[in-house]
Amino acid sequence: MAIRALSFIIATSLFCSTTAHASELNIYTYPSFVAEWGPGPAIKTAFEARCQCVVNFVALDSSVDILQRLRLEGDSTEADLVLGLDNGTMEAARKTGLLDSHDTDLTALELPIDWQDETFVPYDWGYFAFVYDTEQLSSPPQSMEALIDAPDDLKIIIQDPRTSTPGLGLLLWIRHIYGEQAPEKWQALKGKILTTTKSWSDGYFSLFMNGEAPMILSYSTSPAYHMAIDNTERYQAAEFDEGHYLQVEVAAVVANSDQQALAREFLAFMLTPAFQNHIPLKNVMYPAIDLGDDMPEVFDRLIEPETTRYFPPATVSANRRAWVDEWLNAMTR
Amino acid sequence: MERPVHPPLSNPRWLRWPGIVLAAGILCVASVGVGALLWQSADLPFRDLWTSPYLRNVVSFSIWQATLSTLFSILLAIPLARALDRHRAFPGRSLLLRLMELSLVIPTIVAVSGLVGIYGRQGWLTGWLFPVHGQQIWNLYGLNGIVLAHVFFNAPLAARIFLVALESVPEPQRRIASQLGLGNIWLWRSLEWPAVKAILPGLATLVFTLCFTSFAIVMTLGGGPGSTTLEVAIYQALRFEFDFSRAAMLAIVQMLICGSLWYLAVRRGMDSALVPARHLAMAPRRKDSVGPGRFGDYLLIAGFTLFLLLPLIFVTLKGVPGVAGALSPLQDSVLLKATLRSLLIALPAGLISVIAALLILGAYRVSVSPVLARLPATLAHLPLFVPPLVLGTGLFLALRPKLGMSTEGLALVALINALMALPFVLQLIRGPLNAIDPMTLRQADQLNIRGWYRWQQLYWPRLRRPLALSLAYGVGLSLGDFGVIALFGASNQPTIPVLLYQQLGSYQMQAAATTGLWLLILLLGLFAVAATFSRTPARSSPKDTKGVHQCLM
Repeated sequence: MAIRALSFIIATSLFCSTTAHASELNIYTYPSFVAEWGPGPAIKTAFEARCQCVVNFVALDSSVDILQRLRLEGDSTEADLVLGLDNGTMEAARKTGLLDSHDTDLTALELPIDWQDETFVPYDWGYFAFVYDTEQLSSPPQSMEALIDAPDDLKIIIQDPRTSTPGLGLLLWIRHIYGEQAPEKWQALKGKILTTTKSWSDGYFSLFMNGEAPMILSYSTSPAYHMAIDNTERYQAAEFDEGHYLQVEVAAVVANSDQQALAREFLAFMLTPAFQNHIPLKNVMYPAIDLGDDMPEVFDRLIEPETTRYFPPATVSANRRAWVDEWLNAMTR
Repeated sequence: MERPVHPPLSNPRWLRWPGIVLAAGILCVASVGVGALLWQSADLPFRDLWTSPYLRNVVSFSIWQATLSTLFSILLAIPLARALDRHRAFPGRSLLLRLMELSLVIPTIVAVSGLVGIYGRQGWLTGWLFPVHGQQIWNLYGLNGIVLAHVFFNAPLAARIFLVALESVPEPQRRIASQLGLGNIWLWRSLEWPAVKAILPGLATLVFTLCFTSFAIVMTLGGGPGSTTLEVAIYQALRFEFDFSRAAMLAIVQMLICGSLWYLAVRRGMDSALVPARHLAMAPRRKDSVGPGRFGDYLLIAGFTLFLLLPLIFVTLKGVPGVAGALSPLQDSVLLKATLRSLLIALPAGLISVIAALLILGAYRVSVSPVLARLPATLAHLPLFVPPLVLGTGLFLALRPKLGMSTEGLALVALINALMALPFVLQLIRGPLNAIDPMTLRQADQLNIRGWYRWQQLYWPRLRRPLALSLAYGVGLSLGDFGVIALFGASNQPTIPVLLYQQLGSYQMQAAATTGLWLLILLLGLFAVAATFSRTPARSSPKDTKGVHQCLM
């Protein structure tokens, strides 16, 4: 009772944003997507203008939490659409059986790989890369091998593969390059790891921006934000000879949704310029379609890996647990 | 025979039952939380505990770092409390005390940013303290950083509580000691150690539990899987692996370890009070505060103040450039809206925790059976070592069909936050509540001052100050909370900590620094308000109580 009374007070005073609209589209996503500076607000306005509906973004802790929340809620989920899973987590999401096919025309897609998937529609992509501080490091390692062989006074910050998608990305990246040798390579890398943070933002803000380490695991697109918005060339991504691991961010329709048609309309909208124009500088990733002249100029100054490293989602899903355990053992030894 | 008059709420049941019902409620919530996870797990993989080198390491590392952190916190806190007790009038003393109260509620991500700025590889102090081969001797990441951060958070709390204990040494005893000309060591042995000893087991247990269950600090400064605590392992099991069995099993291990410690502490008489009653009387100038030893005291106090202040100054300097812009109401400030939303959750949470603590302590005083008497207060410590994430996830599972993205989730956030603040609030109120002398109580009985009047006349004047401080703790803890809100408070309308994480996620480093600073200012303001609120009656309360005495005579 107390809960209900209290929630009523809170609801009526601040949190209740919706009243009498015909249809609502509930989208589970991650915090930076819906933030004032993220792509969310503009996309909401653009889609609402054409759908006669209301878009509700529900920001969960991180992209990993979208999956967790989906699993926790099961059939009773209020989500109509999930936006923010990636190729490392999507297979696990598919296995929940809670998602439905997208029925979307994917011909407009421009990705480094061929995309054939019944359930997930990509909305942006990027490469994992080590971002370095040019004021601390004038000649960064040119390859993963060079990084692993570097003296231990070169320090890097990485993320935990169990709680963060870039963290998992690095695990897969090293696995893709070295296969069965990955555990040895991790042991060789161990001395260079200053710390392993829970999430990308914990490491980037408190540590990397304070100059604690000259390099952090991030995205090849991160420098675009610094160059375009902060007007600084100081942070750049190091290009590795072995190629970079690809991250594709995806969205999907929830099977139990009573707004399936609307959700599919949103997926189709995702692949139009009205949505994609907000991706490069607000989500700081590559758009999933060709934007032509609308592509911000700073993206021309980013690294362009020659080789794209990528495991099919099913392979990731089948091996993730074993690979994580391998990593744990290599790191605690 | 004259019919007895019954003042409002004077029946002892009014005191007994709400507390017992509340305690049962806490037990119920905790068991539903853990139970729901257990119910979802096929079996408990206890075998993993000794077969997996990783898990063995997790358990032993948790214990090791918590032991070290407790040891250092206490070893710093005792001499500091003694120094602060000897010098009761230096400028800035009350501000320092306020800062020490604050340490418990500073959000970890803000404090960690400050600590890194001071002791990190590029920190202000690192180059200065370790000029030669600094990097080899000192590395913030790993056990070093974890223990340093834990001491930063817990030593002020411990010193604050020790100080109250020292201040409560009866004035006549101090005077006699002073007349006898007792030196430093004798004072310690005859007066101060007994006062410290009484609360040491309870306080050490509290600090150990806080360090043992520490999470965000270990995640950021830990360095890697080699320094993982149980709480972190639980988080990982729940968040990515979705491994309920492992999470439940680790939660049980954590509860067993902390639970048995609390059991030992309670059995050894910690029940008396962690924070004894405050005696606000100003002491005469003390002999032991003027000798050459005073320079040692000054040095200790100054050093500690720097230890506490430097990271906060770092955070302030980083955040200042954006404050004006972020707070301008004309700009439709997100920060102001987030502040309102945060307060809407935190104020009820603080109030609930204070009221719950009062009811629980009330039941303790009037219960018939000794077991029933101790139970509520013991159960109220449960939230200290049931991992909030386990509690949250379990409750989520249990309430699943009724709980989506609706606002009920936010009410639940307030409730869980209140529950988490309860152990601290309880410790702050218990001493003053128990300190009312039996004489006064007997007289009140004879005059039939019971129920509501008793509260009004006897308790309220004495409890105003601790209640204000407890409320500040309750609200402050909830203001900075990120863990629970992330699970339930799904909304694109963020609270302050959620806003902070949104900014971090979108490369808004300056905005994030400002939000962090704003959270600090807010907390400081909160404690300042609590202090002013409690100071006014503190001045008039001796008169009030005297008034009661006179009317009782």
